[in-house]
Amino acid sequence: MICTGCSCLCNDVVVNGTRIMNACIKGYRHIAGAKENRSEAKIENRTVSIDEAIEKAIEILKNSRNPIIFGLDTTTLEAQSLAIRLAEKLECYIDDNSSFCLGEIVEAIIKKDVPSTTLDDVRNKAYVVIYWGANPYTSLPRHMSKFTYYPRGEKRPRGYEEDRYLVVVDVRKSETAMLAKKNAKFLKVEKDDELVDSFLLAVDGKAGKFGSEVGVILKEMKKSDFNVLFAGLGLKYGISNMDRFFEMIKKINEKVAPLYLLPAGFHANMRGFNETLFEKTGFVNKYSFREKRSEKEFEFMELLKKECVDAALIVGTDPLKSLPFEIAKKFMKIKKIVIDPKTSLTSKVADVVIPSAISGVECGGKMVRSDGVRFKLEPLEEKEINDVLIFKKILEGV
Amino acid sequence: MPLTPMDIYKLLPKTNCKKCGEQTCMSFAFKLLNREKKIEDCKPLFEEKRYEKQKEKILEILKPLEKATETGLVVNDELCVGCGNCVVVCPIHVEKDPYGMAIGNGPNIDNPILRVENGKVKVCNLSICRRYGKNRILCVVCRENCPSNAISFLEG
Ligand code: SF4
Ligand code: SF4
Ligand code: SF4
Ligand code: SF4
Repeated sequence: MICTGCSCLCNDVVVNGTRIMNACIKGYRHIAGAKENRSEAKIENRTVSIDEAIEKAIEILKNSRNPIIFGLDTTTLEAQSLAIRLAEKLECYIDDNSSFCLGEIVEAIIKKDVPSTTLDDVRNKAYVVIYWGANPYTSLPRHMSKFTYYPRGEKRPRGYEEDRYLVVVDVRKSETAMLAKKNAKFLKVEKDDELVDSFLLAVDGKAGKFGSEVGVILKEMKKSDFNVLFAGLGLKYGISNMDRFFEMIKKINEKVAPLYLLPAGFHANMRGFNETLFEKTGFVNKYSFREKRSEKEFEFMELLKKECVDAALIVGTDPLKSLPFEIAKKFMKIKKIVIDPKTSLTSKVADVVIPSAISGVECGGKMVRSDGVRFKLEPLEEKEINDVLIFKKILEGV
Repeated sequence: MPLTPMDIYKLLPKTNCKKCGEQTCMSFAFKLLNREKKIEDCKPLFEEKRYEKQKEKILEILKPLEKATETGLVVNDELCVGCGNCVVVCPIHVEKDPYGMAIGNGPNIDNPILRVENGKVKVCNLSICRRYGKNRILCVVCRENCPSNAISFLEG
């Protein structure tokens, strides 16, 4: 089956009774723990039937002046399309976790502002592999062994031993950085901007703060016609100007050697959401169907902060877990509908809870891996009630 | 800390009496770690009262050895995250399974040395590990590429 535990969508997982082979611990918990902490259909904490919960959700959405649909990163492309249709019909806001995750990077890639590639090509061809602000050890446990540094590839038959060069950029010596031993470099940076500047200067033959390190890395890149940079959350939060970072990638491509950009993963189908919304609207997230544009102010958090929404339909995510206290207080004041197979902090305080199926384990559909490659899921069972069915019913009702 | 022959040697009678069949206590210590000898082979240690304390100490430090596999490879389940690095880098896996483990996937062969099951690495078939048997070499490739330091070897 295909594991939907993270955006690696590992396609070599085998389930043999209670034995789950090849999935990492994160994937194992995702698959084996599927039956734990299940949510139940609820209205204001009263147990109800699923149909009643859906009816109530429709009523809330109909009566809301400014609703938002938020989440959707762990559901299928099919459900995401329906959610977008619903947002269009309600003329409301729609956003996902990518607006405070790697949405900007995915957007630049989808718009072809920067060159990108697939993980299969990375395995077969990549020489210099850079992880910038990313620690796949925790977020994407098999990323390095399945796609990037360790595996042998068509043009890299000796794998990490001789045919790859690993660079890890981080504010601390992460677990990933510990693996930067032979043919590798770990760069500890306080300010990511300084490293971007150093690269930009070095490309023009000048020396910046990290002059010598950057020099070595660029020299390694020149040895190959295929190098790749994985950008993680650390980069997104460490950098003040993302455009300069994109400029750096472009300049290296023009003047040094081919360097492709890929996001260092996230929730299973976050890229799918970005792509689906992009096809429909030309924007990847934080979109208002009423105003027909995407704005910083339309981010879920910003809308809550400014009290611009009066109801939220939350799908497969747990915002309450990470909202700052002041914003959480405002979130508590609006109507909350949660569609989720599992209980969460958010589902515990929601006005309506609609239990669903775990995409990829309990229901099929399609998802997009972090590199844009689409996969048809191979679930272990097909539950009748899943996100697609729930969205269909809500769409009919509103 | 991996156990070294020196740690064992220090606690042996150090008389080189050869009753174990070895020329010296040091070579006995080596073979003990390689599992070619058993601690009981050192007769004086068990028979003579004056070595009582040393004997107990040796038995204590040898305890982990019982748990370890025949190659001395120990995986700490608590630390392993199932990343698969060790599976992919193992030179034997690369040689025997070029289109499975060598390219980052799960095994296509029946009896890999290591495989990830239920999110953790399991030691399955040590007979093909490079640390096993007469022509053993002290391979440390899997340990060197484990991000969580979950793999250790008794013999360092
Ligand atoms: S790396 Fe991600 S997709 Fe692969 S097995 Fe682990 S959780 Fe599942
Ligand atoms: S029997 Fe014990 S004391 Fe005698 S040589 Fe062997 S190890 Fe040393
Ligand atoms: S010690 Fe060497 S041969 Fe044995 S499992 Fe580890 S990497 Fe493979
Ligand atoms: S490399 Fe370490 S953490 Fe990864 S699977 Fe092997 S033992 Fe577990």
